[in-house]
Amino acid sequence: MLSHGKPVEIRGHARGGQGMVTAFEMLAKIFSYRYNFEVQAFPFFGVERTGAPIQAYLRIAPGKILNRSYIYHPGLVVVFDEGLIDQTPVFDGLSIDSIILINSEKPPSYYKGKARDIYTVPATRISVERKLGSRSLPIVNAAMVGALLHILEADIELARDIIAEEVPVKPEANVDAAIQAFGEVYRFKDAGFRPQATGKSAATMKKPTSEVPFWDKPMSVNKTGNWRVFAPSYVERPAPCSDNCPAGTGVRQFVKLAAEGKFDEAFRTIYEHNPFPAICGRVCPHFCQQSCNRIELDGEVNIGAIERYIGDKAGHMAFEPVPVVHSGKIAVVGSGPAGLTAALRLRTLGYAVTVFEALPKAGGMMRSGIPVFRLPEDVLDREIARIEQQGVEIVTGKKVTVSELEGSYAVIITAVGSHIGSGLRLGNDEDVTDGITFLREINIGGRRNGIGRGERVAVIGGGNTAVDVARTVLRLGGDPVIYYRRTRNEMPAIAEEVEEAMKEGVPIEFLSAPVALAKGDNGRLQMTLQRMEMGEPDESGRRRPVPVEGSEMTAAVDRIITATGQWPDGYVFSGKNISAGQGRLDPALAGFRTPVFCAGDMAWGGTVVEAIGSGNDVAGEVEAFLQNREYVKPAKSSKAVTPGEMNFSYYMRTPGYATPVQTPDVLLHNFDEVAGGLDEDIIMKEAGRCLHCGECYSCGNCLNFCPDAAISIDDENRLRINFDYCKGCGICVKECPCSAIAFAEEGKTN
Amino acid sequence: MTTTESILKQNPPGAGIPSRHSKKVMKGNIAAAEAVRLSRVSFVTAYPITPQTTIIEEIASMIARGDFDAISVNMESEHSVFAALMGASLVGERVFTATSGQGLLYAHEVLHAIAHMRLPIVACNVGRPSFPWNIWADQSDSISQRDTGWVQYYCESSQEVLDTVLQSYKLSEKLGLPVMVVLDAFYLSHTSENVYIPDQDLADTFLPARRITENQVDLNHPKAFGGLVDPSLYDTYNRQYWDAIHQVEDETIEMGHEFGELFGREYGAVEAVNIHSGTKRILVTMATITTTARQVIEHHPDVGLLKIRLFKPFPKKSVLDVLEMADEDCIIINIDRNFLGDHEGALMQEMKRALYGKPVKIFGIYAGLGGRDVPPETIERILKINFESPQTEEVHWIK
Repeated sequence: MLSHGKPVEIRGHARGGQGMVTAFEMLAKIFSYRYNFEVQAFPFFGVERTGAPIQAYLRIAPGKILNRSYIYHPGLVVVFDEGLIDQTPVFDGLSIDSIILINSEKPPSYYKGKARDIYTVPATRISVERKLGSRSLPIVNAAMVGALLHILEADIELARDIIAEEVPVKPEANVDAAIQAFGEVYRFKDAGFRPQATGKSAATMKKPTSEVPFWDKPMSVNKTGNWRVFAPSYVERPAPCSDNCPAGTGVRQFVKLAAEGKFDEAFRTIYEHNPFPAICGRVCPHFCQQSCNRIELDGEVNIGAIERYIGDKAGHMAFEPVPVVHSGKIAVVGSGPAGLTAALRLRTLGYAVTVFEALPKAGGMMRSGIPVFRLPEDVLDREIARIEQQGVEIVTGKKVTVSELEGSYAVIITAVGSHIGSGLRLGNDEDVTDGITFLREINIGGRRNGIGRGERVAVIGGGNTAVDVARTVLRLGGDPVIYYRRTRNEMPAIAEEVEEAMKEGVPIEFLSAPVALAKGDNGRLQMTLQRMEMGEPDESGRRRPVPVEGSEMTAAVDRIITATGQWPDGYVFSGKNISAGQGRLDPALAGFRTPVFCAGDMAWGGTVVEAIGSGNDVAGEVEAFLQNREYVKPAKSSKAVTPGEMNFSYYMRTPGYATPVQTPDVLLHNFDEVAGGLDEDIIMKEAGRCLHCGECYSCGNCLNFCPDAAISIDDENRLRINFDYCKGCGICVKECPCSAIAFAEEGKTN
Repeated sequence: MTTTESILKQNPPGAGIPSRHSKKVMKGNIAAAEAVRLSRVSFVTAYPITPQTTIIEEIASMIARGDFDAISVNMESEHSVFAALMGASLVGERVFTATSGQGLLYAHEVLHAIAHMRLPIVACNVGRPSFPWNIWADQSDSISQRDTGWVQYYCESSQEVLDTVLQSYKLSEKLGLPVMVVLDAFYLSHTSENVYIPDQDLADTFLPARRITENQVDLNHPKAFGGLVDPSLYDTYNRQYWDAIHQVEDETIEMGHEFGELFGREYGAVEAVNIHSGTKRILVTMATITTTARQVIEHHPDVGLLKIRLFKPFPKKSVLDVLEMADEDCIIINIDRNFLGDHEGALMQEMKRALYGKPVKIFGIYAGLGGRDVPPETIERILKINFESPQTEEVHWIK
């Protein structure tokens, strides 16, 4: 076309957001800067936004352009969105010489009869392949520029830097798209084409029907729904709190119910996945809280305190056993969180379940490993009693093996925990206790362990056991020091507990590890410690402590308690060396006639809530096995709402309420609970801070912002979109505070 | 030789660029912002309204990029936008703002005050109507402000916008009068076309970097403004204003010549095309309709074109000079892109006033209101009206 040196008039049809206006400006610059033509490019906008049909005009001429009106008889029509062909008269005013270019995967012959010279280019595919555009619309302008340069016989190489400069982002990908489109233009000549008279009406002015324009149904004139390329829809997306709970608790739901004062319903919501709300409210590290999106605004919601309140308030709630409907009985070995959770799940599914516990009281590590000043016994008793109320039989003081149980049960679940602690292996073992044993003897055996007043106790380790041991020693009148070979950042213990231990006066020696132990003349122990420094990260991602040469020092101590690792008691497998993983034991390896399943700490180690999750899973696995089904573990979602997807401007900054922690004035023999609860009105306020990530809470922003009044509230107080008028502009999606509106191509889902 | 090579041989890039200029493709609104930068404006106030917004956005971007050393302040309304300009102008800043339609109307009260405080303020107005609600090209907003005392220029191209802003500061500071530079919505504001941007030193040669007038307020000798003026003095200020207004047309022409000598682009208060003794009809136009009319009259040797560039104060002398060249029976056809509640549009009114007492046949056309497109076909239809017939109405509505 260019070679003729004649003026060219181009009319473009696109949807707002596809980049046509920029494309025409790019072309104007290319023909002005590289070819010295006069140019004129301008759009016709309505008041509408993304998705609305728009037109743009481009004149290119060797001399002055003496026309500023729209283009009614274009030499070239370019259509950015095929869908417009049925909606607007894009081919109006074509002459016999006119060319059309359509963004389409179809061959140009498909448009036979529309023009004599027909081109198509798969600009959408070319652009999508290069990830050009937002999630609302693929931006096809660079590809369309490439195709137009081909038709106009221009040199794509001369256009490269102009395209790169004009696009707001991804210059290289846009240039690539233009070059690919330049070479991927398909042409069809329809020699039989004859232009039709467009029948433009004579110049008469339409007579209005009133003196003043009015709309008796506001916004009803133009059914803008047919402009829509992308459609919004209300969705419920996973919140990070719920998504990160290892037990699968519906955290967002129970927090919402708590905010409404519906504590019984909130309890039932937790109880669906977690039979220990009052316990977890106290001892769980709260993965929910750690992932709370509100951290990015003004601090996380204190979900732990809310859960604790819900759990404590549920004392009055009565639970009845369901009838046993299945014949096969199930044995569970171990009454820790994994064992009891699995037992409760299977019992409520109608199986008879018996739990065997070696210690005189049920609860596993919750009973023997967590000091009562963190988890009072009555809290534990109450939650276990509830499980018994629901028909789970618990036999305590009975240490059993799988072999003893075989024959009497259809399935045996072992969940014996990790109650064997590791020693120091530096000699003088009689003076070294492991922390798990120490805590068990205190908790079960009456809080005496022969620690004398002022006795120096070295606690080795950095996990929860080490911290619990040190705080217990303090209460027994001893003088504890924690030695940990890494730094505070690497300590696996719950940060708040470390903080509290330090407040209570437990010194922690970081970067120090015992390397030798000797007995001094005075009967005291001489522990040699070596200084460490942090080296390269190991396979767990934590930085590895490296000894500092020549940094040895000694400490005189009366007793050493180790908390450097723990493993399961092999007794349950009669001493057989079986490494247990979550789920069913391989019968060939284990050699048991009865199907044996494993769960909890013995399977993979972790916190109470992770053991509960493991118990839920093993119950599902056992049930599936007994019903001859395949068990599908509920997958962790990858679509939980991230802080970046929240619209924080719509939330007021409101400081949260912290859990009250009273560091006791007198620690000696004081085993009272350290952390306190919050009052009901405070709990409701704190729960009210929930951002409702991924769940509509009827704030009405979408309704207020919709420029087409296409959103309304129905009789059931739910927000509804009227798709006759929704033009897919995406404003509601942008203004939704909590990412509860999805935006996907019409007819598809995200 | 490839197509590209042959075209580039005929039109090497850079050909046709006047000296000390660089060529850029830009929208009218961006040309306005460029002119503000070249005028070394120091203080800008901003309030968004379609279709003006991209002017103040571009200015803000230039400042943010470090390309333009000025202060831009976002205000809470157009009334405040103009009020803040008053203050800044009083202490000697060279100031600018841009607005449209309802925004200009909202500032109406302050426009009077600015004019009668004789402040050298330049503002762009991108014309859109008020009601029925509409965002497209229409001159009723600025023309309804013609009695506030502001000088008004109407621009035909992005180049003219840039050049007129530069000239406006010079005129404004010389005469102590505010100037409104008017752009047609979309046809100019959002149309990308070739614009020749003068180098800064060339612009500085024409418009001194420092404001021409002395500071009104010396902070060491404070003064108060806006106090009550009693009947014995009031009209004396009006009379001085009247004297200044009378200089605008001549200054415009003189400045247009000076500008032409420096920049290679000449301007006047009006422009006449194809007006000679054989001219039977003259189309009187303003702003972008002029361009399309230029094309149409190429096919009508007996039709002339009179473009009104300076609209307020109306350049009576220039108009009469042009009409002197035409046939005595020549028919004057005024195209008005404004409706202000009267029988004829504002251009027709002003032309009638200018031609008072002359035996001319004068007609008015309402066209292009509220952004209605005015293609060559519309102008052809105007020329098909039988103006010779005594039955033909004085005013026509043309689609």
